[in-house]
Order: sequence, then structure tokens, then C-alpha cells
Amino acid sequence: MISIKLNKNYLGLGLLLLGLVSCSEPWEDHAGVNDPNLTLNLSEAISQNAQTSEFGKLLAETGYDRVLAGSKTYTVFAPSNEAVAAVSADALSTAQARKQFVANHIALTAFSSVTQQDTVVIQMLSDKYLDFIDGSRVADARITDADNYTSNGLFHIIDKDLAPRKNIWEFIKERAATSDMSAYLLELNEFNLYTRDSVAKANAIPGMQADSLSNSYFTNVYNLNNEKNKYTFFLLDNESFSEETDRLRPYMNWPSEDTTTVYTNYFTTRDLAFHKAIARENLPDTLVSRFGVKVPLTEATIAEEIQLSNGVVYVMSKLEVPLETRLLTTTIQGENPFGFSQSDKRANTFYREKADPQGNVFFDIMVQNHRVPRFTIYYTASNLYTTTYKVYWRAINDIQTNTFQQRVSFGGFISPTDGSLQQPFAELPYTNVEPNTYEEVYIGEFFIDRQGRSALLVALQAANSAADGVNTLTLDYLKLVPVIK
Amino acid sequence: MKTFIITNRNTLLLAVLAILLSFTSCQEYLDVEPQDQLNSDQVYRDVFDADAAIIGTYGKFMQLAEKYVLLNELRADLMATTRNSDPEMIALSEHSVTTDNRFANPKDFYEVIQNCNDNLKNFDIMLAEKKFTQTEYNQRYADIGTLRSWIYLQLGIHYGSVPYITEPIENLDDVRDASKYERIPFEELIDELVAFTEGLAYTSPYSSDSSLVISVDGYDTAKFFINKECLLGDLHLWDNNYTQAAIHYKNVMETGTMSGNDSDRFDTYRIKFAEVATNNDLAVGYLRFREQDRLALIDNNVQGWRSIFARDRDVLWNTEWIWSLPFDSNFAPKNPFIDLFSNRGGEYLVKPSQRAIDLWEDQNQRNGFPYDARGKRFTYNIIDGDEVIMKYIYKFLDPVSQSPIDLFQTDGDWFLYRAAKLHLRYAEAANRDNQSRIADALLNFGIQSEYTVPGVTDKTDIEQTFQPFPYNFDARNGDFPRFRADWHRNGGIRGRAYVERAEVLGDSVISIENNLIEEAALELAYEGNRWGDLVRIALRRNDPSFLADRIYEKLNAEGSSQAGAVRTKLMVRENWYLPFVWNEEE
Repeated sequence: MISIKLNKNYLGLGLLLLGLVSCSEPWEDHAGVNDPNLTLNLSEAISQNAQTSEFGKLLAETGYDRVLAGSKTYTVFAPSNEAVAAVSADALSTAQARKQFVANHIALTAFSSVTQQDTVVIQMLSDKYLDFIDGSRVADARITDADNYTSNGLFHIIDKDLAPRKNIWEFIKERAATSDMSAYLLELNEFNLYTRDSVAKANAIPGMQADSLSNSYFTNVYNLNNEKNKYTFFLLDNESFSEETDRLRPYMNWPSEDTTTVYTNYFTTRDLAFHKAIARENLPDTLVSRFGVKVPLTEATIAEEIQLSNGVVYVMSKLEVPLETRLLTTTIQGENPFGFSQSDKRANTFYREKADPQGNVFFDIMVQNHRVPRFTIYYTASNLYTTTYKVYWRAINDIQTNTFQQRVSFGGFISPTDGSLQQPFAELPYTNVEPNTYEEVYIGEFFIDRQGRSALLVALQAANSAADGVNTLTLDYLKLVPVIK
Repeated sequence: MKTFIITNRNTLLLAVLAILLSFTSCQEYLDVEPQDQLNSDQVYRDVFDADAAIIGTYGKFMQLAEKYVLLNELRADLMATTRNSDPEMIALSEHSVTTDNRFANPKDFYEVIQNCNDNLKNFDIMLAEKKFTQTEYNQRYADIGTLRSWIYLQLGIHYGSVPYITEPIENLDDVRDASKYERIPFEELIDELVAFTEGLAYTSPYSSDSSLVISVDGYDTAKFFINKECLLGDLHLWDNNYTQAAIHYKNVMETGTMSGNDSDRFDTYRIKFAEVATNNDLAVGYLRFREQDRLALIDNNVQGWRSIFARDRDVLWNTEWIWSLPFDSNFAPKNPFIDLFSNRGGEYLVKPSQRAIDLWEDQNQRNGFPYDARGKRFTYNIIDGDEVIMKYIYKFLDPVSQSPIDLFQTDGDWFLYRAAKLHLRYAEAANRDNQSRIADALLNFGIQSEYTVPGVTDKTDIEQTFQPFPYNFDARNGDFPRFRADWHRNGGIRGRAYVERAEVLGDSVISIENNLIEEAALELAYEGNRWGDLVRIALRRNDPSFLADRIYEKLNAEGSSQAGAVRTKLMVRENWYLPFVWNEEE
């Protein structure tokens, strides 16, 4: 009897509990949205925020309010009302400009101010890239109110607008009317410096790398129209530009004056673009161009400094690169031949990997026991100057005990019938290759008086003998050193 | 009446059924034997059961492969950790293994030992019950006994003092209880192992008519089993008992001597010279007359030095390999080496250390190339910018593209003993046994090259050592009169590897010993010998710096901040050993 009574009590307790719990609907509490921030999307939140209502109006005007009401997640750097008021009229002059202006404040996905990285590079909807630094600054604007979250992303309120900047190439185009150097760079849209440029331009598929192929400067130096990288570019003023080109002109002698000008300009301007944006205070006294030319810099000659979306341009009143550093030595590696006078001697051709007595490893080529008088290895050299060249080789004769001879010739063509060298314009004398000589040896000089479209043929020719050991060829490298006139 | 009959018939039927049921039911129907497991009364019934038990033990033994390589190489100086290595591997490399590290746990070794002990005990019972012959017993007992000694030697090398248990035990976890199973020091362990292994009645490989030497799934099983003489040589070498070691090694080196087949007789385990014309050899070589062309290096899976690790188990393979177990993707256990080494289709957990790379780069080839092709051309390659140890993955990667041929084709081998190791170990013993000249000859360019006299045509009295066994070598190769002696094709380890001879500097015994150990690094890297080599020499010379300096150089070259501290630590012998612990749940 007692036990039944107890059971009844438990039943009552259980019912009571059930009654209490059911009323509060805990699952609803758990999953429901109670945060008022999350009831608004970005578009609504920005236009309702007292600080950013002006930017909200711009959103509505450009149609970006609909984008920001979408289901993707965005980050908006919303300029405060004061900042919008201070925007130059220029930036908002046309509908196109307003759209670009707004797009430069919006990025896909959420970028919180709380981050491990000190700098986050953000691609904006305008396709420009901005630096988000320490979670407190974006480009040169300061964040006054960070991390306002909404149902589809977050917005940061900033004290200055992020009007889109031009990139370096757009800047150059803008200056073309007044700057000779800019005008020249635009010419390279049409002019092909190398054969490969015309092929690249013809094959450019819009959208895919088309940009970097559309101008010969882009293909051969840097694509200054690329937003994803940053560059430093030195634009010479007209006086300085003509000074520099005049100095180089005697070394760029083409049959026609116009062509000479184009190439002189190219060899002057190609050394003026550098990867990465270098701030004025960090500029070293010498920069090395991607072609190996040392460019001396003096801060005093910077006439103008323009910060652009993909780097910085310094307009220089004077920038003098001495010929000693401008004219580069050409090195031809023995182990990278262009061809042979006959193709059946692979078994006699040794691509070697050896060390000199000091233990420095070198790669070279040796052709031995081929039994062909005047067997020839062909190389090519391009980007040479019209001047005298001193020629040196490093040719290592280490597996024979006798001295043999070989010679180097420049120019001419390869006979289509027997592969032999025809009509070289310069033929250096047969020179001894002494056993176990690891030093560079001077072997003579030659003169180039005119530039040509095709690369210069360089030939390494064996002795006129069929005897093994006598007609050996060996070459680590050839060095062509231009002489200043 | 009719009804009665029917009822009667039914009763009858029922009765018959009942009787039938009572006879059969309980015994046959309900007592079903499991089909995937054996009862204790179904094993060790005859010689074939014994064979199955041996194969089972070797299968279990193969699970030690990964640990064997990591313990012996990552702790030593030729192997380093990568960006993918876990903290326990880094601790192993930096000699800071704590008790919770999986490498501190010797349980898997003892599991195999337990298997061996069970085999041995049952072989005794089978012999007593006359279930197989004395000869069959001797061969199998010696095999499993030697395998157990091999495992104990490894345990001793890595854990120092370990319990030496030779009987099956009830609960394996009792092993860690030092009060139940006393841990004996390494020297004592070696003595025990020598005594036991020397006492085995059979030391040759299984005879070719044994039921264990067959072809299974395309594999010839002859080289699956441990070579007892090799282990005996190793044990004596650890015991600094040089003559005995040399005797056992020499027995293996002369395996081909009695063969009527010329290539068996002259090539088996003799480190044959290079076949410069055909390149069908195991040597580092170039296409003939193109030795100066680095692109003419013989670098494929069927010719030259690389093929030692990549070729099928063919005639030439058999002249080099003494003990090697295959991993096949169709059978357990899984090949652990793909994950360990490959950065394509694997996890790339270890790589060659900078110190090892430097060792190969410091050599000069005989064509003047300033490196040892066994290094960057064969033992490791640069793949996707990573240094990848290739020895174990030649069968996994495409020979040209170096991409996995098939991610599920994980065939490979566990490399345990080969002729080069045998020669180096023999030379180590000979060198310490006042036979430095022989040691130097085997290390460099071979017996003939060392003992010949230039310009002499009559070879009757030259090109041989004129020593009693185990230092008797006859390498005569002459035509007037004609000689083709057993050792005439021996080309020496460095001869076969196409590198310049190793110079002897200062005290010749010490210098040659140094050369031998360094050669083992160049030739046998990542085959699981290095740590043992360093420990053995450091013990023999009573000079911990021999080991400590090399580990220091490795860690220093890898940029580890611990290098100096590790060196100091390793100057004390006790710190060479891993802690001996395991947790029950593991």
C-alpha cells in the first residue's frame, strides 16, 4: 500500500515538471534569433546607421544596395557622413565613376578587425587591392568603428573615403600627351620588339592574361596594368629621357633611324620598372633591374611621387645610368647548345658536371673522338650592342693530356645541306686549350656595326682534323664583354 | 481402424525422427567449428602446420619494418624529419623521447618474440610426439630461434637493458614488470644471444627441397628467412670476437663456391665488378665511352646500382640479396614505406639529412664528377623541391615521371641483408683481426686489384691472399695459364660504386674502420643499419663522441637549436637508450 502511494507521488512530480518545461520552449530559445543586429542585412544596417547614412544613399543610387541585401557575405568599409561630404566631386562626377567608387569600398567575404596577420590584402569589388593593416586601417583611412555585424557580413566605419586610384599603366596613359617616355611606352602597343611579342599579341585571349600580352613592355618587362602585383616605376621627364637615350643610341645602330630610336628607348626604359612598391624612405641608392642593370638613385632628383593602386611612380628630373653598368656582358653557357653541325654525334657529346681544383662545381660540354674535321657546336646570342666585344672563354681540357685547338666565330648561317657554318662576319683565330686550365682565357675581339632582327649565331668549331684528341671541343662558357666607345 | 493405423504410422514416424535427432543433434549440428580461426588442436599437427606457424611469425615480424627503419635511421645521422613529421618523430630525431612516446614502447617487439617462443615450445612438443623429423625440427627451430635473437639484438641496441624471455608467457604485459622479468644489460644479452644462437643445430638456409622453399604468389620464399650465419657474424662482431665473426660472414660469402653454374659461383654475394659493355649489373655505371656525360648514367629499374632496390627477384637480385621480405598490396601487412618516404601518394615523413647529402657530395667519382651518384641520383631524388628517399619507393613511382603508377599498387620490400652489408661487416671484423689489407681491398677495388702485380701475365702466384680460412681469397684471372678463381669478379664496394678509393690516414686500423663505417652510410643508407653501426664502434672504442659528434653534426646542419645539448647528452652512454615502457591499453 505504501509503495503504491509513493509511486503516485512520483507521477505527480513528473507531470508538474513536464508542465513547467513545456511552457518555456527551450528549443526555440536555443535556435531563435534574438540578436537585433542579425535581423538587418548590410544594406539596411548601413543606411539606418546614423554615421553612414550618406554612404547608404550612394549604395541605393548605384544599385549596390541590392548586392548587399544578397545572401553572400560581404565586408563594407563605409565612410562616415563627413568623409562622404569631403569626397572630391571628380570621383563622383559620372554614374560610372560613382559605381566604381562604391565598389572600391566593398569586398566579398568577411574580414574582421581581429586577425592574426598584420596586413591582409583584400580584393575589392572594383578589382583593386587594398591593404587592411592591423585591423585598424585600410589603405590610408582609419577605422573609427569596427566589426558592425549584420545578417550577411560586417561593416567598418572609416574616417576617409577609399576613392579608387588609377594604376601605373592608367597613369602613364594619362601622361602620354606631355611625357615623351609615356608616349613611347604606348607605342609599344603596336610595335613588336621581338618576334615572340607579335605571336603573343595575336594569340591573346581576352580575359586570360590578355593584359600582359597586349604591350611589348608588359611581355618583356613587367605588366604595369596588373592590379595583383605592386611595382615601382621611374618615369623620366622629357629632358632626362632624351639625355639617357642619346647616350645609349650609338650602341643601338639599326638600319633605320626609327627602329634605332625604338630600341634605344626600350633598352633605356626596361631598367626603370621594379617589382614591389618601394616607399620613398626605403629607396636604396642603387636598384638592380630584372635584366641585371644597376640603377643609381638620388632622392633629390625625385620631382614627383604618385601613389597608385598597384604601386608607386616617381617622376625623375634626372636619373643617369652610366654606360659601364647599362651595357651588360653576355654569357653563353657551353652546355646549352642551339645545335650541332651534324646530329649523329650524341654518343661523343658529354654533358659534364665537374669541379675545379677549388671544389667549385661547373657544368660544361665536351665533344670528343667524333672524327669530323671542323665539327661545330652552335649557340645564339641576342640583345647585343653595336660596339666592339672582347671575347673570353672558360674551356676545360681535363681528361686529355695534350693541348688541342678550337675557335669561335660570329654571324653567318648554317648550311642547310651539310650543317656547316657559312659566311661568319667575324672569325677568331684557333686558340690553344691547354690541359687543366680553369681560368678564363681571352681569345680575341669582334665588332658589331648593325643590329639585326635575328639572334647572332655563335659557333664553336673544332680543329680541321679527323684525329681523336686533336679535334676535341670543350666549353664551360663564353663571355662577350662590350667595350665602351 | 483406418484412423488407428494412421495414428500408429505417425507415432512411428515421430519415434524414428526422435531417435534420429537424439543421435546427431548435440554433436554435429550445434557444435560448429569456426571457419576463419584455428583451434589449438588444429595447429602443430605436422610439418605443414609448423611451416604455417613460421610464415605467420614472419608476417607478424613484418609489422616491425617501419619501426626498425625509424629507430635505426632517424635516431642516427643520415635521416631527418620533415615539415610533416609528428612531434614523437621529432623527439626521436632529437633524442628527447619521453615515456609517453610510441617509440618508447617495445611491446610490438615482444609480441613477435612471444610468437617465436610459442613456435619453439611447440616444435619441441612436436619432436617429442614424433610429428616431424629431427632434420625438419632442426631447420625450423634454428630459423625461429635466430629470428628471435635478431629481435633481441635490436631491442638491446635501442633499449639497453631488456628482459630476455625464452618461454611463452601468460600475460605479455608482465614483461614491463622488472620484478618478474629481470632486465639484463646489453653485454650480458649479447653473451646470451651468442650462446643460444651458436647452440642451434642448423646454420644454413633452408635446403632447396624444404617445404618452406617454394614459390608463393609469384614470390620465391627462399630469401624470406633470416640468414643464421649473418646474424651469428653480427653477434660476434658486437661481442668484439672478430675471428668468429669473420668465419660466419665468410661462410655466407662463399655460398656460391660449390656451385657448378659459373654465374652462381662467381657472382653470388661476391660484389661483382661492373659490366661496362652491357650495363647489366648492380654497379654505378655509364654508357660505355660516355663516362664523361652525366646524362649517360645508367639510371633505371633493371640495370645498375638503382636496380638493387627496384628489380624483380631475378638471378642478379639473388647475387646481392640475402634477406628481404616483400610487401604486396594484395596481402597484409601494408607497406609502411610509401607513407614514410614518398611525397607523391605518401605522407613524406622523413627525408635525407643535410649531413647525409654532404657525405655523398664529398665523394669523387672515377670520371671526375664531384659527387657519389649513389646519393642524389639513386638513394634520394629531388621531387617537387623535396629531397625524397627513393630506395623503398622505386616500385611505387613511375621510373620516368616519378608519379605513383597506381596509388593502390603499394608493392615494396623490407631490405634486411645484402652482400654489400656482408662485405662491409666482414671487412670490419677482418680489419680488427689484423687483416687490414683484406678489409681495405674489399672496401675499395677488390681483392684482385689489391693483390695483383702489374705487368705479370702468369697469375699462378699472385692475386690471392695465401691465408687460412676465413681470410683465404683467390681472385686470379689469367689466360696463360688460364685461371678463373672464385673471387676473380670481386670489384670492391667502392669499385662497384664507381667512386675514388677511400684514403687511409694515420693509424690504419682506425682509419680503415672509419672508412668502412662511412661507406656503410653511403652504400646502405636508410636500410636500418646506421644507429647500430655508430653504437657498435662507440662501444668498441669506448668513445661516446664517435656517436655524439655525428648526431650533433646532423642536428646542427638541420638548424636544430638542440644540437649542442644533444651532443652533451649522448656523451653519456645511458642516454643512448630509449625508455623501456608501455601502457596496457596500447
